[in-house]
Amino acid sequence: MIQRNLWKKFTLLILLLWILPVTAALAGARHFTFLYEAPTSAPGSVELENWITWERVTNSEQSDQIGFRHEIEIGVTDHFQASIYLVDWLYERDRTQSSFNYSGSAIELIYNLTNPVIDPVGLSIYGEIKGGRQHFELESKLIAQKNFGPVILDYNLTLEAEWEEQGLQERQGELQQALGASYELSPRLSVGLEFLHEFVFPDWRDEEKIRNVFVGPNVAFRHQNWFITVTALAQATDTQDEADFKVRTIFGFGF
Amino acid sequence: MKKVSMISIVVACLLACESANYVPPVTPQMAAARKGRHVDVTTLREGRRLLVHRCIECHTLPPLWHYAIEDWPKIVNSMSHRASLKPAERDAIVAYIIAVRSTGQ
Repeated sequence: MIQRNLWKKFTLLILLLWILPVTAALAGARHFTFLYEAPTSAPGSVELENWITWERVTNSEQSDQIGFRHEIEIGVTDHFQASIYLVDWLYERDRTQSSFNYSGSAIELIYNLTNPVIDPVGLSIYGEIKGGRQHFELESKLIAQKNFGPVILDYNLTLEAEWEEQGLQERQGELQQALGASYELSPRLSVGLEFLHEFVFPDWRDEEKIRNVFVGPNVAFRHQNWFITVTALAQATDTQDEADFKVRTIFGFGF
Repeated sequence: MKKVSMISIVVACLLACESANYVPPVTPQMAAARKGRHVDVTTLREGRRLLVHRCIECHTLPPLWHYAIEDWPKIVNSMSHRASLKPAERDAIVAYIIAVRSTGQ
């Protein structure tokens, strides 16, 4: 039964790729993987982005988690883009067991308000709705960016609400701020830093005072109609059940 | 004191970087500056708008004086498909860059 469902989703993915206009262009290259940038995709552009995020927790259980995301990004107008997360998959492994699960699908919308080059600061607003098996999530962001010549400074403020488990009874909130800086060595190559600061609220309470900080470098390469961006983050706090290391790669190409 | 000096240096560096990719607003002088070819102000404004919206989706803007005037049409053309630029939009960007260069800004 599960295998049948998987085949159905793969067939849907292939069909969607098939019907995409073959003349569309790259929707835009990423300089960061844990942050979004203020500019939105050109109208009519279509891009397939594949995300791979590896997380390692080095507590007594020593677990690994690898998340996969396949996303179609579409430029609707000069200031508005829409994305569909076709499938999010999760591979988990610890000392005793491993599993591979469908995690969810989502719709993401970004509206650009101001430009990071000619306005004092480039601003965009972001909304996402994600649903999966025993999982529902709402996410909103304020994206602020300023370009100083070859330097990009980027800031994201994110509020996330999650409902999980049987009957979606388990709920959690998260507030996150992220800061990124990127320096363009050439039009094709950039290097930078990303910094995440998370405030986690299990059951929307702050009794446990969960605060996580991650920091690490990134590198981005783009050529013709494809790009690849990689970020490696290490946890700077000491939260036991949180990942100690995270590596995210986003590979995108335009049709 | 050390902190203030560090912040001042960083701010000065960022401002210096920003001035390098200054994208000046369109003026009537720009439209008149191109010898032998008249380009209207509306086209130049559209060129500037497209330059700061479409090009930064993949890379930051290079200083407009970084490349020779005769190289710009080839450079913009090579990326126009990726940026979903129609021929008229591509020409507007090139016209704006050449107009800026012609007025010596």
